[in-house]
Amino acid sequence: MGPLAVNEIISENTNLFLAFIIGIGFGFVLEQSGFSSSRKLAGVFYGYDMVVLKVFFTGAITAMLGLLFFSLFGWVDLGLVYINPTYLSSAILGGVVMGAGFIMGGYCPGTSFCGASIGKVDGMVFIVGLFIGVAIFGGGYPIWEKLYWAQDLGSPKISKSLGLSDGVFALLLILVALAMFWVADWAEKKFPREEY
Amino acid sequence: MNPRIILAIFIIPLGLIIAAVPQNKTKPYKLTAEQLLSEANTRSQYISPETVADMIVKNDPTLLLIDVRSQDEYEKFSLQGAMNIPITDLLAEQYVEILDQDTKMNVFYSNGTITANEAWMITRQLGYKNNYVLEGGLNYWFEVILNPTEPASTSSDEEFAKYDFRKAASSALGGSTTTIQPANTPLTNSPKPVIKTTPKKKKPAGGC
Amino acid sequence: MKPKKYLNPYLGGVLLGLVLLSANFISGRGLGASGAIKSCIVTATTIISPSSAQTSGFIKEYTEKHTGNPMKNWLVFEMLGVLVGGFLSGAIAGRLKFKVEHSPKITSRKRLIMALIGGVLFGWGSQLGRGCTSGSALSGMAVLSLGGFITMMAIFGTAFALAYFFRKNWI
Repeated sequence: MGPLAVNEIISENTNLFLAFIIGIGFGFVLEQSGFSSSRKLAGVFYGYDMVVLKVFFTGAITAMLGLLFFSLFGWVDLGLVYINPTYLSSAILGGVVMGAGFIMGGYCPGTSFCGASIGKVDGMVFIVGLFIGVAIFGGGYPIWEKLYWAQDLGSPKISKSLGLSDGVFALLLILVALAMFWVADWAEKKFPREEY
Repeated sequence: MNPRIILAIFIIPLGLIIAAVPQNKTKPYKLTAEQLLSEANTRSQYISPETVADMIVKNDPTLLLIDVRSQDEYEKFSLQGAMNIPITDLLAEQYVEILDQDTKMNVFYSNGTITANEAWMITRQLGYKNNYVLEGGLNYWFEVILNPTEPASTSSDEEFAKYDFRKAASSALGGSTTTIQPANTPLTNSPKPVIKTTPKKKKPAGGC
Repeated sequence: MKPKKYLNPYLGGVLLGLVLLSANFISGRGLGASGAIKSCIVTATTIISPSSAQTSGFIKEYTEKHTGNPMKNWLVFEMLGVLVGGFLSGAIAGRLKFKVEHSPKITSRKRLIMALIGGVLFGWGSQLGRGCTSGSALSGMAVLSLGGFITMMAIFGTAFALAYFFRKNWI
């Protein structure tokens, strides 16, 4: 059955329309969870507000469990779901640069759009920065082209790399996440801050 | 109650279940039983020995003969250029690319047609296109291509044309007869099926 | 009107997960953000300077993978939805207001400069890393992609490591 668009159960234009609807859901949930506030987002790195960690991991786990169960019931063919390819060096270096951008800018791309939509000027400036950053990458592409394609590992699943089944890895991730949530709740009590 | 604990109550059991059950690796069938039945009823999967022989003689690069008998049988005798995919290994991962494609015409054959038909049915249900079955199987192949019998003198011209073609094919393919035929052998009447291309198989796109 | 309280983070997370799940179920892909910006950049380059667009390896790599108008892209539509969804949520909760959010210890000007630098870095990094926090880390984790986990750890690890140096911006 699923994924609907890949199996051509819905047309390309319906798919784009549903992308818009999914985007509304995405933006709504982000804003409702407080991801439109950069100080709330940055809180995760100082322990006063762990909302990023909680929402992020709960979201990833929910979707992961959902996909595994959907696959189990035969509702979705996991072979047709996009799995991000892994290019080791660019994934690490890109992540490091993004991390630096995160702590300086206080947003990530998705949340900056969310912040900008409710009038956060810093979010809008961050978006301008994003455009410049992408343009710089495009303009200087030959310089980092080699790095971009280095260490191609294909599209491996982390469970396979660790030699576990998807289900066992999912269970481990759930337990790790719950442990982190416990630490997060503790940290919020230890470094309290008033609402801002 | 602490929301963290509520979350834990829900997701830990789900995690335990998903860790305990075996992974679903079965491929869903793309065709319903009704669709398959109607295709089987039209006998559109069959391809005549003459068409195949013609393609072999002409070295048609789009033809791929697939021997679905056991490896033993394949080694003893196989058609020219055929590859061996024993029916027991039909679903092995290494053959997916061969069976599920849209550039070649795969023709399954076995001694009769039963095994080849099984292979066709399974691959067809998985939604693969361009797989066919050699009509009559190897037995019929021997009968009509390698050892064609001369039609009775009262037969129609068409029958004779068919016979001439079979003789020609037979000599080209190393049959028992040694008669040299004129070069302009008549073509077969049955047209070669058109290779169906799927509108560029959609790969899941994604990423940022 | 006093802004409403934010959603409980765990509930928000479950809802986010359901959105991500429906994206995977419907379109066979995860969420994303930076890809939409890439589409815009590709479009802009093609319009402003078609000759350089043809020689750019970056654009070539993009057009090889995508056919048709780069703006008629899943991620572009999704990000338009994000703007609408965020606005709706802000309107319901009474949070619609133009402001620059920053720690009292720094000026608005400094905050905006930092936001710009952060944006540039994030934009560059998201291209190198093939996706941002949503496209690579969050969506990648949901499909158990190794790369998703690596990118996630690199982003949060670096941000944590550098947090001390930028503490005045936030607390």
